[in-house]
Amino acid sequence: MSLAKPMMRGLLAKRLRFHLPIAFGLSFVAAIAFKYMVTEPRKQAYADFYKQYDSVKEFNAMREAGIFQSVRPSGE
Amino acid sequence: MAHPSQLGFQDAASPIMEELLHFHDHALMIVFLISTLVLYIIVAMVTTKLTNKFILDSQEIEIIWTLLPAIILILIALPSLRILYLMDEINDPHLTIKAMGHQWYWSYEYTDYEDLGFDSYMIPTQDLTPGQFRLLETDHRMVIPVESPIRVLVSAEDVLHSWAVPSLGVKMDAVPGRLNQTAFITSRPGVFYGQCSEICGANHSFMPIVVEAVPLEYFENWSFLMLQDA
Repeated sequence: MSLAKPMMRGLLAKRLRFHLPIAFGLSFVAAIAFKYMVTEPRKQAYADFYKQYDSVKEFNAMREAGIFQSVRPSGE
Repeated sequence: MAHPSQLGFQDAASPIMEELLHFHDHALMIVFLISTLVLYIIVAMVTTKLTNKFILDSQEIEIIWTLLPAIILILIALPSLRILYLMDEINDPHLTIKAMGHQWYWSYEYTDYEDLGFDSYMIPTQDLTPGQFRLLETDHRMVIPVESPIRVLVSAEDVLHSWAVPSLGVKMDAVPGRLNQTAFITSRPGVFYGQCSEICGANHSFMPIVVEAVPLEYFENWSFLMLQDA
């Protein structure tokens, strides 16, 4: 009875073939997740905000709230 | 202004600041990509039983870890240069304002048409009214017309200061004897806060900047009243 010859070469290459695709895959997943959970929502949020933005209406609301120094609320 | 415990940038109030926000997201995405890769590799290296240190030749991996960073740097540099050139576009300003840094206040001069100038001191904490922001409010604000290109010429009368308003994406050093120029457009009306960004002495933290963007007719009323008061 004899033992099977153990694998003596290519151990690092085998480890790399296993781990490197996972490493690159995970890092791309992290980047894509960041892109679709942070970057794109932020761009969309700005686009949506300005699509319906009425600067006159917003200005009047801020004016009535009294935040401006140069323009007092219309009652004053 | 910033909210309590805020980590990210303030909401953008100018087109350039919006571009800077998106570029930051792009660069941070690349940072996360690289960090995840490196973290995984570190964990793999720490948990291996393969410890043969005598490794000869490694041309393949040397090529990979030279080319890959070069490509990543190009992916970062291209949008960065785009914004850099966007910021330097010829913009034909409607108004030019001089912002002069002093120890420890800013003064603003509107000399396009008449001679309007005033100082802008921080409102001390004990004099604040409810709703005002500590260390950010000033007695006189720099009022500008909204959605108009504005040029600001920044200089200083004594030591180095820096005129910065984060939500507008603006920061420019105020150097005595030198005139620096920056430009911006406000996308929406409102009040935008900033603080001196170059150490200038004991009260460096107590010389804030407040920019108030209002429609043109109100800006004209304000400048008329300011000239009368002067």
